[in-house]
Amino acid sequence: MTREQIRNDLISLLKEAREDWDDSAAITDETGLFLDLGFESIDAVGLGSALEQHFGKVLPFPEFMSRAKEEDLSDITVGRLLDFLEVNLAPATGGKLAHEA
Amino acid sequence: MKPEVILFGLDGATYTVMNDLIQHGVMPHLERFMREGVRAKMVSTVPPLTPPAWSTLVTGRSPGHHGILGFVQYADAQSMSVQLVNSRMLKAETIWSMVNRHGKRAGSLNFVGHQPAPKIDGWVIPGWVSWRWMKQLSHPPGIIEMLKSDLPGFDLKRLALDFDEEKKAIVGAVMDDYTSWIVPHIEREQQWFNVLCHMMEREPAELVGVVFDGVDKLQHLLWSSLDPALAKPESEEYVRIRGQVWEYFRSVDEILGETVRRWGDQATILICSDHGFTGSWEILYLNTWLEHNGFLTWKPNIANAPDGSTELDDFDLFLPFVPETTKAFVLNSSSNGIFIHVKGKRGDWGIQPEQYESFRKELTHALLTRCADPETGEPLIKRVHTREEIFDGPHMENAPDLTVTLRDHGFVSTRRTNTVYAKREIPMGTHHPDGILIARGRGIRRNRSIDRVSIMDVAPTALYAMHLPVPADLQGRVVKELYTPQYMAEHPIVWGSKAMLGPAPTLPPDAPEEDVEVLEKMKALGYLE
Repeated sequence: MTREQIRNDLISLLKEAREDWDDSAAITDETGLFLDLGFESIDAVGLGSALEQHFGKVLPFPEFMSRAKEEDLSDITVGRLLDFLEVNLAPATGGKLAHEA
Repeated sequence: MKPEVILFGLDGATYTVMNDLIQHGVMPHLERFMREGVRAKMVSTVPPLTPPAWSTLVTGRSPGHHGILGFVQYADAQSMSVQLVNSRMLKAETIWSMVNRHGKRAGSLNFVGHQPAPKIDGWVIPGWVSWRWMKQLSHPPGIIEMLKSDLPGFDLKRLALDFDEEKKAIVGAVMDDYTSWIVPHIEREQQWFNVLCHMMEREPAELVGVVFDGVDKLQHLLWSSLDPALAKPESEEYVRIRGQVWEYFRSVDEILGETVRRWGDQATILICSDHGFTGSWEILYLNTWLEHNGFLTWKPNIANAPDGSTELDDFDLFLPFVPETTKAFVLNSSSNGIFIHVKGKRGDWGIQPEQYESFRKELTHALLTRCADPETGEPLIKRVHTREEIFDGPHMENAPDLTVTLRDHGFVSTRRTNTVYAKREIPMGTHHPDGILIARGRGIRRNRSIDRVSIMDVAPTALYAMHLPVPADLQGRVVKELYTPQYMAEHPIVWGSKAMLGPAPTLPPDAPEEDVEVLEKMKALGYLE
């Protein structure tokens, strides 16, 4: 999949999940999952499962989240998540994290 | 089509509370149900914890075999990544899939560890999922939209667990008025029951299971209002709060009554809990104890929690230990499990592999002899289990190296504090191994109490009640004592081929041939139970 296709899928997934949410902020690569979209930690768990479900592939999402925590990031942006997906949905990456690839 | 078996799950239900509620006339339908059926204490997993226990109940296998070990666990035996349990971690076949293999449909509502929902022939709305993701993680696709459009009053936000509110139950929040906290639980249980009734009309299934988990939450927070041993009937405040708590149990009882009215003439109904409950009076800060005894080093930026902190975990912390100098640590509170750092396993630090056995014995000895009540000197830890004892099976390597049972059955705290021990001002409810099983249905005796059964026995017993072959490799057994001798004679147990292993979320293949005759012979020769 191209980055653009993944972006479209990811944004569709987030929009679909947000149908019942209370705000309607536009989603861009700079959008933060927690600060802008109002995610709670349990939502990150749901997102990981939903991504696997949607893309039909087991993803090292817990590692991705753990690394973000380790780096003490204030938020995870859609763009960073996109980096992660792009690397891990490519067939030959061996499951490396985006910034390791 | 009417259901043949209903698993009526009451998360954390215990006879300590249920018998008292019956005596006070709060649960008349349960009282009648008991008279019309058989009851037993049902022994949970070790530790008695919701995800491994419900997973055992629906697979007939122990945690070391099905792979669900706690609320959170390492992704695998080499990983340092920790994640909330999900259906991909469940490595044993569920009862939903087993009945599918025989052409019967299943419906599963609010079971933990079922997200993303396995693609069974039937329907699954998983528990422990944020309402925001319920739509994507349920099965079949479109089920949530269908409920929204077809089921009057359906409200996804009321159906799903509110994690901020549930946290109050574990922390032991004190409120002037508990009504505003209890009412949403009453509404949630009604939502799940409404979904069950609607799905049974629209997409009926022969096997259905539903978990009502407010029982657990109310018992955690309001144990002192529920344990008859702590009753203070002379206290106006006690009676007022108890009245609020009883409203919840009245509503659950109404749901049970309606369940029996709708389906009880044909279905076998198994009321079951994943574990029991008791009161916890103290807090052991086990990571702090490990630090004080030279097994653990905190990272310098980890601040002390306030003295007497009832918040058992700080989920915002990622690996709060210095790995190079930490030999053992507790990952999260509820599993009460201690992991030992072994060099080369999850990183290049820890004790040498050849030191493992001697180190584990040394730590076990220290836990049992030096972890003591500061006032009386009595041990705080009743038992230390090795993983071989309680997690035997293909997933043992991912389990804690040691698991402790505290003298009051409480959960340990993982937090950094000044002291290793604190007394609670008000007792909290905590999990106890003895849960409940109450069975009512065709061939089941009436008004009987039988000896303890195992939580592993529910799946094979449910299959037997559906006249289906019981996979010969399940670790549980059919609870024959539930049934009259005549019924057992007329309906012998049929043993089936092995349960399927591997990840759950695949559509089951066609049912394999049952080599019943061979298995019956093996059983007669004592090779199988």
